[in-house]
Amino acid sequence: MLEPISISLQALNLPSLLPVGILIVGAIFIIVLDLVTKSGSKSFYTMLSILFILLDLGVVIGYYGEARGMFDLVLVDGIAKISQIIVLVTSAFFLLLAMSQRRFQEFSMAEFYALFLFMIAGFQFMTISDNLILIFVGLETASLSLYTMIAMHNRKKAFEAAIKYFTMGALAAGFYTMGSLLFYALTGSIEIHEIANRVILNDNLSVVALIAATIFMIGALGFKISIVPFHTWTPDIYEGSSAALAGYMSIVPKIAGFVVAMRLFEALLNLNVLWIENMFYILVIATMTVGNITALVQEDVKRMLAYSSIAHAGFVLSAILIGTSEANSGLFLYWILFMFTNLGAFTVLWMTRHKKNLWDERYQHPFVKFKGLAKINPFMATMMAFFMFSLAGVPPLSVFWGKLYLISAAVNAGFIYLAIFMALNSAIAVYYYMKLVIFMFLMEPASEEKAIFTTNATPVLKVVLAVAVAFTIFASLFIDKILAFIIYHVTMSGF
Amino acid sequence: MEKYLYITLFAPLVGSLIAAFFAAKPKELYTGILTSALVGISFLSSIVLLNYVDADTILHVKMMDWISVGNLSIPFGFVVDQVSIIMMVTVTFVSTIVHIYSIGYMEHDKSFNRFFSYLSAFVFSMLILVMSDNFIGLFIGWEGVGLCSWMLIGFWYHKQSASWAANEAFIMNRIADLGMLMGLFLIYWEIGSFQYDIVFANILNLNINTVTWIGSFLFIGAMGKSAQFPFHTWLADAMEGPTPVSALIHAATMVTAGVYLIIRASDIYFLIPDVGYVIASLGAFVAVFAASMALVNRDLKRIIAYSTLSQLGYMFVAAGLGAYWIALFHLMTHAFFKSLLFLGAGNVMHAMNDELDIKKMGGLYQSMRATAILMTIASIALAGIYPFAGFFSKDKILEVAFNHEAYLLWFALFIGAGMTAFYSFRLVMMVFFGEQVHKRLGFHPHEARPFVIYALTPLALLSIVAGFLEYSFHAFVIDLLRDYKFTLDHSVGWMLIVATTAIALSGIAFAVYKYKRGGFGAGVESLGIYKLLVNQYYIPQFYNNAILKPFAAISTFFWKQIDLKIVDATVDLIGKMFYNAGGKTRQIQSGNLSSMLRWMVAGIAVMLVLAIILRPMV
Repeated sequence: MLEPISISLQALNLPSLLPVGILIVGAIFIIVLDLVTKSGSKSFYTMLSILFILLDLGVVIGYYGEARGMFDLVLVDGIAKISQIIVLVTSAFFLLLAMSQRRFQEFSMAEFYALFLFMIAGFQFMTISDNLILIFVGLETASLSLYTMIAMHNRKKAFEAAIKYFTMGALAAGFYTMGSLLFYALTGSIEIHEIANRVILNDNLSVVALIAATIFMIGALGFKISIVPFHTWTPDIYEGSSAALAGYMSIVPKIAGFVVAMRLFEALLNLNVLWIENMFYILVIATMTVGNITALVQEDVKRMLAYSSIAHAGFVLSAILIGTSEANSGLFLYWILFMFTNLGAFTVLWMTRHKKNLWDERYQHPFVKFKGLAKINPFMATMMAFFMFSLAGVPPLSVFWGKLYLISAAVNAGFIYLAIFMALNSAIAVYYYMKLVIFMFLMEPASEEKAIFTTNATPVLKVVLAVAVAFTIFASLFIDKILAFIIYHVTMSGF
Repeated sequence: MEKYLYITLFAPLVGSLIAAFFAAKPKELYTGILTSALVGISFLSSIVLLNYVDADTILHVKMMDWISVGNLSIPFGFVVDQVSIIMMVTVTFVSTIVHIYSIGYMEHDKSFNRFFSYLSAFVFSMLILVMSDNFIGLFIGWEGVGLCSWMLIGFWYHKQSASWAANEAFIMNRIADLGMLMGLFLIYWEIGSFQYDIVFANILNLNINTVTWIGSFLFIGAMGKSAQFPFHTWLADAMEGPTPVSALIHAATMVTAGVYLIIRASDIYFLIPDVGYVIASLGAFVAVFAASMALVNRDLKRIIAYSTLSQLGYMFVAAGLGAYWIALFHLMTHAFFKSLLFLGAGNVMHAMNDELDIKKMGGLYQSMRATAILMTIASIALAGIYPFAGFFSKDKILEVAFNHEAYLLWFALFIGAGMTAFYSFRLVMMVFFGEQVHKRLGFHPHEARPFVIYALTPLALLSIVAGFLEYSFHAFVIDLLRDYKFTLDHSVGWMLIVATTAIALSGIAFAVYKYKRGGFGAGVESLGIYKLLVNQYYIPQFYNNAILKPFAAISTFFWKQIDLKIVDATVDLIGKMFYNAGGKTRQIQSGNLSSMLRWMVAGIAVMLVLAIILRPMV
């Protein structure tokens, strides 16, 4: 006969699950509301969802309880906190983009908002656990919601993208389970800190099996954060999704992936298996370089930004390879700065969204579309130029500081060649960012019609753009405060 | 008092920056009013400073440490002494009037706001130039006015000729500035400081050869800015800019910066009288050379521009011969009547729809009485007739030359005075009197707006009476500058005055007499001398053939052969390498789902194989 299980509520530490709970309750509330009344409007649901997100954000920031909860399934440490804040703030901003001028099918359906909240909850689960199964549940929750949301854009390209993403995601999920299986077989645990401990204690461990497990995890997480050669989905999916969702995908799933990667791979890298370190070195450099040089030849701005986000991911991934506190803090700093700049760039694309593909049969935002934009709409061109300069890492715009901090972390930790590669890649990247600036400023416009560049603009979008540009330009003023906050939380959780 | 110094200096800058915000916007009247008011405030506060400065008190402030690297320490300081305050008052006074005048003159220009932004920026740079207490500050102002001059000459940049003239002025000045820079480097090399007081205190200890080099180099800089031969061609071409610009920058203020430099560095030039004599000779040459070109020119503004060149020559004669206060005095009086002359010419231009050929005017007195009177006053002052301002300052310069026993120089200036009187009245006669040619050509001239005329009256007033300030001016600046001792007999002085007045009057009389009857016949134009003068002694052609063309050939060679074939090819090769690599990696991206899945699996497979082959070590 089984022992009756008695658990005190205190040991469960329910408040640690409160943030995720809020979103799930919110999502169900939206679905129920939609059943009861059919009259909910786009802006109502957007604001309601943002309300839940803000509530969640408040609880996340205000949480000072135990790090552990729910039988040690939950781990709310410093990096969990920072990454949740990034996820939630980014989600709130990108959700505002739903309030566009033109009507899109997905935004008029309540399910979209419910799925959006479920997705955020999934990403939050990924960040607040070091249990491989709970991470998997979070990952799949988020991914399945995301696939559906892409498809809801209701274009042929969108269906194609959703199917591709789903199929490849399934393969990646397979890799993930395979990797977890191997870890469990080797160590008898599915908790990351336990796995690392038992590997150290067990001398007879098969190193090849350990490496195989790591490889499968690289494949799985590499898919999420688009490491070469698991990156092939990125441009197609970005192309098929709306600019708002594409921008979102370039930030949020990746930061959740980074946190898991940071927990898992840094534990493995600490084992001093030379092979893993070398493999990582190659992957980081390959991701940066392939992303950059493929971006060079793109004809569409959104695809260019997709490749550029691969390159940025590779750049940031070097932090995990370096593994020092400085580098880990640099990862979060970089991603926050990158987030606001990318938010701005994708918002500009979103504002110029036209119902027809006016400039190219295939692409919505080809480079030629932006020809002479400086003459037609100088304000918008200047903003876009700021984002491009920032992405290229031109001081004193925001991303420059991230690059500076990460490269100096690499140098301080003795990764000189890595630092050189990072710098070289930044130089290559300048080419394709400047290409857009040249199209905008140095070429003659094809037509003088100003209206086609603002068909999708609304005051809300303009406010988002203003926030993004202000953050991009004036980042240097408050960067030390952000950095102090990050360093405190990163070192507090032992990374 | 420091407060007034900063107000004087920064008020124009504030105006310029505010106007700059509206640079691309359509005309906003208040930008003109605001900048004028701020320059006016600058003028008023420099008047306060003028009252403050006397024999014992000057104002010297250090705003901040500007550059301090190793042994090099350059504080950013300003000094208001007897020389700089005269410059400040002159500059801000003329600037205020030109600003107000421009509100009317630029009325219909679509870049109205931009114009005022540039104009105020110029005033600010000019004030930096004259107020700095060290050579570096002076050089910054020097380059600042050069930049503003470039922007303003090329203000109508869509005109090919205007942008060409702007570039010519800028490049010509750059060449001369190289000389100036050499002088500055030499000063720092030898003395180790750029501060005026330290430099002038230590200059006595230097080898006289070194001082000669320093003086010569600085003078080359001055030649560029003051458009002395052989750097003179840019000034006449600079007339492409709007007329208020010609009045302010290319007559009253910026071009006198060269003279200011010589006066400011008088402690250096005092030690090297030989260089001074060269300066004076060049000045005398330019005085006659430029006046001769003005005799035949038919372009209203170019005539006045040549006259400016010629008058700058007079100033250099005085400065070169050590009569610094006289040079400064002529600089001041000249600023008044020359800007008046230019602004009057601006009114004429407007009335004639930007027609500049004086042969097409004539008889404008009927329709533009006020402008005619103002320009006649300015011309009398320029010709140097008692009691107008030009008489006092110009006569003093001739006396200096005679006193120095430089009779050749004196004679040149004497002839120059006659020519000046002639071309001034040739202009007045052909524009305002005689046959009304413009009627035949279908022009309908009209007088400028009343406030424009009112704005010009202070200049006219000073053109008449400024000469009587001579004694107080002398007493004021002599506290800082060396006095000039006249050893001439009193009677000789009187004879000189009578002679100069006589030649000036006869020049006027000849011009009036001749042009009352329609001027010279067509026969004059076929004379060799006429052709020589009208073609500016063929100097522009010479520059074009001897310097520009070979230089262009060399540049083309470097561009086509070296840059394109070697430098560019190397850079392109690197670029293409990456670009092609991009094209290759792109093939991964077929968009085909099966191949995308295959890539993922292949990635895992390759890594697994590597893991086994490479037999990892723990």
